[in-house]
Amino acid sequence: MTSLATVEPAPARCGMPFFSPPAQVMVDPGPMLLADLDDGPSLAAHRSRFGGVGAAGPGSAAPESVEQLAQWAEAVGLAGRGGAGFPFHVKLRAAAAGPRGRRPIVVVNLAEGEPLSGKDTALARCVPHRVLDGAALTAGLLGAREVHVVVPRERPLVEESMALAVAERQAAGERLAWRLTVVGPGFVSGQARAVIEALSGRPGLPVTAWQPEAVSGLRGRPTLLSNAETWAHVWAVVQRGPAGYAALGTSSEPGTTLLSLPGADEASVGVGTVAVVEVELGTSWAAPMGEVAHDVPVLLGGFHGTWTTASTLTGMPVSRVALRDGGLALGAGVAWPLPPGVCPVDVTASITAYLAGESAQRCGPCRNGLPALAAEVGALARGVSADYTRIEHLAGLVERRGACAHPDGTARLVRSLVSAFGDEVAAHRAGRCDVTRRDLTRPEVAQ
Amino acid sequence: MTWRRRTQALAPATMRVDWPACQGRGVCAEVLPELVSLDEWGFPVIRGGVDDELLDLARQAAADCPHRALRLIR
Repeated sequence: MTSLATVEPAPARCGMPFFSPPAQVMVDPGPMLLADLDDGPSLAAHRSRFGGVGAAGPGSAAPESVEQLAQWAEAVGLAGRGGAGFPFHVKLRAAAAGPRGRRPIVVVNLAEGEPLSGKDTALARCVPHRVLDGAALTAGLLGAREVHVVVPRERPLVEESMALAVAERQAAGERLAWRLTVVGPGFVSGQARAVIEALSGRPGLPVTAWQPEAVSGLRGRPTLLSNAETWAHVWAVVQRGPAGYAALGTSSEPGTTLLSLPGADEASVGVGTVAVVEVELGTSWAAPMGEVAHDVPVLLGGFHGTWTTASTLTGMPVSRVALRDGGLALGAGVAWPLPPGVCPVDVTASITAYLAGESAQRCGPCRNGLPALAAEVGALARGVSADYTRIEHLAGLVERRGACAHPDGTARLVRSLVSAFGDEVAAHRAGRCDVTRRDLTRPEVAQ
Repeated sequence: MTWRRRTQALAPATMRVDWPACQGRGVCAEVLPELVSLDEWGFPVIRGGVDDELLDLARQAAADCPHRALRLIR
């Protein structure tokens, strides 16, 4: 296991999800994106193993056109890994279909605002050139000259790695205009429109998108903005060829995915350590999750995600389709089991309060609705409110009423608490917590 | 009329709010109470698409918004 250096002083939160970037990200070697980590992150090592930009490995050929790359991405079902899971080939074709003379722009987004996620950090620190090669080869096919690399202010080591990687490529004489931009801080600062705002020199906050970024993004140009992991997969599809890529995963869902889990080091669980692993799609959740009691609550997809239990997960494969059929979503790949004795109602209240504070304060329903929702969930956690209809009402009132999906994600988290842990919610409404064995009507004697 | 134009004509128009621009002045709810109500903080809640008989009022509501935060999308 590769252990990465400290990003921030560790917040001590006793097993609760934490609200600042992970203090430490640990990376397990993986089958594809995280293979051959011993090479180190340098451009020289990357080139000596894999060849030039967009070079295909043995037994396959490099794509000759945007359309061919789109067909390959479509064939392997490459979905965006930033959280929304939007098909890459659709974006790619849209960016290529712009008017002649409007040269497209490519953006690599490493601004993971999700505190429980470490995958973009892992890619930046360990294999930055697999990410940048995916963007560079696509830029070449699109005729794009400008490639923006966007890093989060909260994670200075990501900036350090990407600045070095970009400098290596410039020194190597690559004919692309690489631009590194630091955005944030903030949970929503990695949102696509917020990133484009920041790249435009305006405050990096979400704004209303009347057209997709791939149609009209930065300076009105077609802008192909994708998450770092997505670009690494683009590189992998080209490097291995679509058939070689599909040798991993299942026939319906080829390839791999990165997951962020609590740090494997028992002593550091919950004090800000994230373990990043790469698993083949279709494998059992039991392997990455490890030994977890079956009724343990698991937060899947991060703070905008959904609650489930370990037994639900370990009974299904790591699969976007299986999760969707089960009413769950992988989001940006976070799977966070709670340690024993930590109540999902309390955690949801903490996260909702945090998310309310992370509102960009631009849209009325979010600015007003999230604090109101957080207050109600907080009251539920403390056992002083039995009015669940108010929570449902507020969740419905913030959904689809903002420039970005921040209120929708917050409402999704709160709604999933009730569907996954109705018994725990009912206990809190009755004034007790069965997980922590507290009588909520007498908080002063809490153990 | 092409097939494409005909389907566009059949699809109902919708009102879309530019949420960062909206300041909750509530003019839209006064002009178009048939489709727009206000939430507890004064921001518009829009119910459903715009039928043909409401199109003129919907255009009026969009034009009257003091922050140009309402658009009629066809």
